Amino acid sequence: MSSENSNTVATVPRTSRPMSEALLNEKWDRCLSSMLIRSGLGLSFGIVFSVLLFKRRAWPATVGLGFGAGRAWEECDTSFKRAAAPNKDGLRVIRP
Amino acid sequence: MLRASILRARPALRPIAPAARPQWRAAQRFYADDKKLSETAIPNPAPTVTPSTSTATNLTNGSTIRASDIANLPHEPKTTTTASRTAPVIQPATTPPTGPGSASVAPDPQPPRPKKRRLRKFLLYSVLLSMLGYGGGVWYSLVSDNFHDFFTEYVPFGEDAVGYFEEREFRRRFPGRAEQPRLYPQVTGENKITIPSKSGLTPRVAQEGDTDLSQKGSHMSAVADNKPKQTPDAKKEKPSESATKAEPKKQAVAAAPPPSAKPISQIDNLNVPAASEPIVQDVVKLVNDLITSINADASHGNKYDSAFDKAKSDLGKVISDINLLKDGLNKSAEEKIKAAHGEFDNAAKELVRRLELQMQDQETHWKEEYENERERLSSTYKSKLQSELDTAQQLYEQRLKNELLEQSIALERHFTSSVRDRVEAERDGRLGKLNQLSNSVKELERLTLEWNSVIDANLKTQHLVVAVEAVKSALESQATPKPFITELAALKEIAADDAVVSAAIASINPTAYQRGIPNAAQLIDRFRRVAGEVRKAALLPEDAGVASHLASLAMSKVLFKKSGLATGGDVEAVLARTEILLEEGDLDGAAREMNGLQGWAKVLSKDWLGECRRVLEVRQALDVIATEARLQSLLLD
Repeated sequence: MSSENSNTVATVPRTSRPMSEALLNEKWDRCLSSMLIRSGLGLSFGIVFSVLLFKRRAWPATVGLGFGAGRAWEECDTSFKRAAAPNKDGLRVIRP
Repeated sequence: MLRASILRARPALRPIAPAARPQWRAAQRFYADDKKLSETAIPNPAPTVTPSTSTATNLTNGSTIRASDIANLPHEPKTTTTASRTAPVIQPATTPPTGPGSASVAPDPQPPRPKKRRLRKFLLYSVLLSMLGYGGGVWYSLVSDNFHDFFTEYVPFGEDAVGYFEEREFRRRFPGRAEQPRLYPQVTGENKITIPSKSGLTPRVAQEGDTDLSQKGSHMSAVADNKPKQTPDAKKEKPSESATKAEPKKQAVAAAPPPSAKPISQIDNLNVPAASEPIVQDVVKLVNDLITSINADASHGNKYDSAFDKAKSDLGKVISDINLLKDGLNKSAEEKIKAAHGEFDNAAKELVRRLELQMQDQETHWKEEYENERERLSSTYKSKLQSELDTAQQLYEQRLKNELLEQSIALERHFTSSVRDRVEAERDGRLGKLNQLSNSVKELERLTLEWNSVIDANLKTQHLVVAVEAVKSALESQATPKPFITELAALKEIAADDAVVSAAIASINPTAYQRGIPNAAQLIDRFRRVAGEVRKAALLPEDAGVASHLASLAMSKVLFKKSGLATGGDVEAVLARTEILLEEGDLDGAAREMNGLQGWAKVLSKDWLGECRRVLEVRQALDVIATEARLQSLLLD
């Protein structure tokens, strides 16, 4: 046993997986960043559209912003929901 | 057409009087463009020469000569020439009238020829048609029965033709029967059998006399007709009988034939009373045959009577002489037989005497031999008996000697054994004590050996305990988690082949000794961090989205913190209880409490729980090993 142990020292890798208590925080980080990016993108698209098509009206910009933010929100929501439940990849789901 | 119209439009171009011109034009009228007429290339060279070179006057002669020449040439040119000749007759219908009609005046060069040819053609066609019709008729008669009847009846040779084809068909269908002609001989023309008119039965009026059966005739008597037939039969039979019969009955036989001999006296047959001799019989038979033949001959006229009488008397003499000779021979033979009898009797007597003498000699000889043999046998038997007796005596003596020897040996052995017993008894008495001493020494040795093993085992257990203590101390003294593989390896080596120890070590999770495990303080420290996170997620419902997360985050800030052994299953209470348990040092209880969490709280505390478990496993294994070591030390005594 001892010899085996000495041999297998290096075999068990140190995982880069985050600690379980940091899981939620990481999700929050990701959500915030994605919200920022997507809402920024939406806003910029809205502005461009408003300049090009809608005679510099304000509402296309807000609509773009809303689209981006909504999209980010949705993604975040799904990520939270998915993480709570145990991973079911590769398992067959039997519905009643 | 176009050309024709052009020509018509320009009369200057028209030739003055070339009779054959229009036909050439007609042949060339396909050329729509305006070419020079004299230089146009015309397909066949033969006619091109004629119009260009010849004038109107010599045209007819030249053309006729040409035509006759060309008639021998191959077919194509001829047709063209004929076309050229007939052109003035036929073509003007298509071509417009070109001139005053001088061309049409030219006479047809050979009017009689077509007539002959027409006749020939007619003949040819008629022959062909008739042949075709005949063939068709034959064929159709093969097909249709009605037509067959009609055709064979009315058409000459129709029957033969149809018959020939039918025959072929029949042979083709039945090759085996090909030889038989199917048509009747009458049809094929063989000889016919004619029955004459007079043949056969004809009626006739019966005559009275012929048919009356009551009239006298040959058919009325049953006897008259048969007699002449029977007599030759009797004559034939009787001589044959007489030939087979014995001589003494000749008289009676000879009497039978005579019915025909009436005027001529018959010659008597020879009668020899003592003719028992075969030779004599033959001679008599011969003579008798002669006599019968002469008797049968009616015309002998008794001329052989004297000769036969003489022959008869001579024969009688001869027979008597023979008898005399026989008697003399008999007598001499009897005498000879008597003499031979006497001779034989003498010889027999002599033989018997000699035999008796021989027998006597042999008897005496045998008796002597017998005596000798008897004596010899008795002597040999006596000698054999003597020898047998001697050997039996010797055997007996030898056996006696052997028995004596055996007895002496047994006695000797017994004596030696008894002596040895005595000596051994004496020795045991003295050496017994020595044996006891050696036994006691052996016992002592064994005892010391046992104690050695006990000491060894003790040392071993001590080592084990020390090793376990080393591991424990290593675990507790560390500031950060360190691997403790070396300590465990040492422990395992010391335990060597202890099953309990090896099982305990095997129960430890490899990650535990490869990465090390945290001590109590580190665990508590980490728990504090985990508890903060868990508290944030304490209020989350099932399947929480972003909004509920946000709400939970906000609400957890204003939540009242519990402390001490709080009751209830909510997250706050669980956390409080775990903290208390950890502070008390009850790691097992704390892990159990945290394991009861649900949802996000459990997910967040999963790593901490795993660490707790690993620590617990290591502790348990070490406890087991320590207990085993203690047990070993206890078992030794």
